[in-house]
Amino acid sequence: MVRGFGWAAAFPDEVWEHVFSFLAADADRNAVALVCRAWHRIERRSRRRVFVGNCYAVAPAAAVRRFPEVRAAAIKGKPHFADFNLVPTDWGGGAEAWVEAMAEGWPHLEELRLKRMVVSDDCLELIARSFKNFGVLSLVSCDGFSTAGLAAIAANCRSSPVHTSVGLEVAILVSVASEGVNELSLVYLLLSSADIPYLRNLRELDLHENEVEDNCLNWISHFPESFTSLVSLNIACLEGDVNTSVLECLISRCPNLKTLRLNHAMPLEKLVSLLQRAPQLVDVGTSKFSADHHPELFSKLESTFAGFKHLKSLSGIWEAGPTYLPAIYSVCESLTSLNLCYATIQSPELLKFVSRCKNLQRLWVMDLIEDNGLIAVAASCKLLQELRVFPSDPYGVAPPISLTEHGLVAISAGCLMLHSVLYFCRQMTNAALLTIANNRPNLTCFRLCIIEPHTPDYISQEPLDAGFSAIVESCKDLRRLSLSGLLTDRVFKSIGASANRLEMLSVAFAGDSDAGLHYILSGCKNLRKLEIRDCPFGDKALLDNASKLETMRSLWMSSCSVTLGACRQLALKMPRLNVEVIDERRGRPLESWPDDFPVEKLYIYRTVAGPRSDTPPCVWTV
Amino acid sequence: MELELGLALPGGDLIAELGLASEKSTSMCRKRGFDDMFCRATSPPLFVQKDGDDDDGDDDDSRFNHLQELNLGSRVLVGWPPVRVSRRKSEEGGKRRVNCVKVNMEGVAIGRKVDLSLHDSYQALFLTLSQMFPKKQHDGEESDAAYYKVTYEDEDGDWMLVGDVPWEAFSQSVKRLKILN
Repeated sequence: MVRGFGWAAAFPDEVWEHVFSFLAADADRNAVALVCRAWHRIERRSRRRVFVGNCYAVAPAAAVRRFPEVRAAAIKGKPHFADFNLVPTDWGGGAEAWVEAMAEGWPHLEELRLKRMVVSDDCLELIARSFKNFGVLSLVSCDGFSTAGLAAIAANCRSSPVHTSVGLEVAILVSVASEGVNELSLVYLLLSSADIPYLRNLRELDLHENEVEDNCLNWISHFPESFTSLVSLNIACLEGDVNTSVLECLISRCPNLKTLRLNHAMPLEKLVSLLQRAPQLVDVGTSKFSADHHPELFSKLESTFAGFKHLKSLSGIWEAGPTYLPAIYSVCESLTSLNLCYATIQSPELLKFVSRCKNLQRLWVMDLIEDNGLIAVAASCKLLQELRVFPSDPYGVAPPISLTEHGLVAISAGCLMLHSVLYFCRQMTNAALLTIANNRPNLTCFRLCIIEPHTPDYISQEPLDAGFSAIVESCKDLRRLSLSGLLTDRVFKSIGASANRLEMLSVAFAGDSDAGLHYILSGCKNLRKLEIRDCPFGDKALLDNASKLETMRSLWMSSCSVTLGACRQLALKMPRLNVEVIDERRGRPLESWPDDFPVEKLYIYRTVAGPRSDTPPCVWTV
Repeated sequence: MELELGLALPGGDLIAELGLASEKSTSMCRKRGFDDMFCRATSPPLFVQKDGDDDDGDDDDSRFNHLQELNLGSRVLVGWPPVRVSRRKSEEGGKRRVNCVKVNMEGVAIGRKVDLSLHDSYQALFLTLSQMFPKKQHDGEESDAAYYKVTYEDEDGDWMLVGDVPWEAFSQSVKRLKILN
C-alpha cells in the first residue's frame, strides 16, 4: 500500500498533463488541483486558459504566479448593472494592474478578452508591445480608450511566415550564409529580428459596444502593408468615419477574413464596394442601410450579397428601411444568426425578411416585429434557439406597438429548440407564462422585462407569481432568469425551492419583505450572481445568509432597504467578502455616518485579494 | 385598473387602488409607490392626444414635460427599462429617435401622424401616406410619386414641396406635412 498519494509518482508528469488536457472546464481543473500536491503542481503548470469573472476577486500577480503558462485570459470588471448607468463611471475596473502583471508574467499570451473594464490607451500600447505571439484582442463594453490606442495596436501588427522568434533567426541565418555575407551583417540581422516583440499574427480584433473616443481618424492605416493575418474585425461601436480605401486595401490583402463588422458611419455605396472584395465572409455587420432610392445601387447591393456563398451571420443594418432590404433576400436561407435590433423597419417588411430565414438559430429584433411577425417566425424558423426582442420606444413616447404576450407564446409553441429568451413588452398574464413554461421546459435563459414596474396580470390583475413559478418549476435547466411585473414574496419562495441550476438572477421592483431575499439566498444552490434594484429587501435576510455570499461571485443591491450597520456587521463576520457601499451624494466619509444610515447602492463580492486600493471617493469598502 | 381623474393631487388610497402591496412597511417603499404612480402617469389613458392644430408641434414632448413637472423633485427612474444607452447619445440598444409629424390632407377633417424614423426614403413615406389617405384612381394607374402633391413645413416655417432635398436633411427639418388635392 503506497503511503498517502504517492501513486501520482507512478506516472511521469507528462502523462498526467496529457490526461488533464482533456479537461476543458475550469471547475474540473480546479477539482484536479485539490487532489494532491503533485497534481496541483502539474495542473497549474499546464493550465492554458484562465477566466476571471471579477477582476477584484484575485490579485493579478497571484493569478499570473499560480498559472505561469497561460495563453488565453478573459477578465470581467464592472457589475452588470453598469450597462444601465447604475454604477458610477469612476467605480473602478481599471485594466492596468492586470495588463502590467500579464506583460510581466505571460509574455506568450495569445488571447485577451476584457469585459466592462476601463482600458486606457497606455494599456493598449502595453499590450501592443508585450506579447510576441498575440492573436486575439476582444474588448466588450469597455471604455477609457481612443482610436489612438487602436492605432498603437494596429501599428505593432506584423505577419511573419514563421511562428517563433527562434525559427525566424534560423531562417535568416540560412539565407544569409548562402549568400556569403560577412559576420558583422549576420550579427546585425539576428539582433534586429529578435529584440523588438510585436503582435505577430493578430487574427482577431473585436470591439463590441465600447465607448471609444475618436481622436485618430486614420488609425486603420497604421496596419502595415505586410499584415495579412486578419480573420475577424469588429469595429461596429466606433462612431467616426473610417477611411474606406484604406479598409478596402486591408480587406483585400487578408484572404482569411471571415468576420467583418463595420460601423454606422460608412455610406451604403462605399459599403457595397468594400463587401465586393470579400465574398468569402461568413459574418457581416453592415453600416447604415438607408439611402435615397437609386436603382443602380440597389442592383449593386443585390449582386454583392448574392456573391456571399458562405454568409451565416448578419448584423448592423442600421436604420434599414423597405427600400434596400429586399436587395439582400438572397442570403436569408443561409443565415443562422440575424441581428436586426438597429433596423427601424415596420412589421410588414420585417416579416417578409425574417420569414425567409428558415435556418435561423439566433434572432435579435426590435418589437416593431409585433405579434404577427413573431407568429410568422414561429411558423418559418423552426431551428430557432435564441430570441431577443428589444423595445423600439422604451420611454413610451411614440404610439404603442402591437407586441404582447401572444408573440412570445407563439414562439414558445412553434420553436421547439428555443432555449434562450430576452423579451421586452408591456403586458403579460400568468396564463401566458404557464403556457410558455409547459411548451418549453428546455429553457436555459429567460429574461422578461415588462416595461412598466409593478405591472400585474392585465386580465386577472393578480401578481405574476404563478407565471414565473411555473417557469422555474418546469425549466429544470434554467441558468439565467430576469423577473419583472408585479411580484410578491411568493415567487421568491418558488425560485428558492425549484431553481436548482440557476446561476444568475435579476430582480427589480419586486417582493414585499425580507422573506423574499431570504428565500433566494437560502435556496438556489448554484447561484453565482444576484442583482437587485428597488426591492424592499433589508438587513435581516442579508445577515442571516452571510455565508451564502461567499459561495457566489457577487451581489448587487440598489435602492433597497439595507442599512450601513448591517453592512458593517456583514464585513466583520465575513472577512473574505468586500462589502462596497456606493454613495454619490454624500461628502462626509463613511465612518461618520450612523448605523441606521440607508445604503443607496451596495456591491458585495468574494475575494482573496482583500479590499481594493483603487476605490474612488464615492465607494467605501466597509 | 381604473384611474380616477381629478384636479387634486392623488393621495394614499390611489396606491392601494393601483394594486401595490399594502404590507410594505418601510417609508422608502411607500415613497417608491408614490414615484411609480407619477411615473405611470405617462401611460396613454391619462393623456389624450389632441388632433387639432397645435403650434407646439409634438404632443408627445408636452406629455413628457408634464411628467417632469409632476415629479416634484422625487427620484426619476434611472436605468429603467434595462436597455443599454450609449453615453454618447448615439442610437444603440434599441432606443429609437422617434420622429412623429402630423399629416393633414386638404379637405379632410381628421389628421394623422406618421413616424419618420420608421421610413428610410421618400418612396417609403409616400407608400405609407397612400395607405393612410387612400384615393380613388380614375385612370387605374399606380404611381405613388405622381399621385400626390405633398408639401411640408420646415424648421424656418416655410412650406416646400416634398422631395427636393435629400431624405436625411428632410427628415431632420420637417415639422409637419400637408397633402394637396
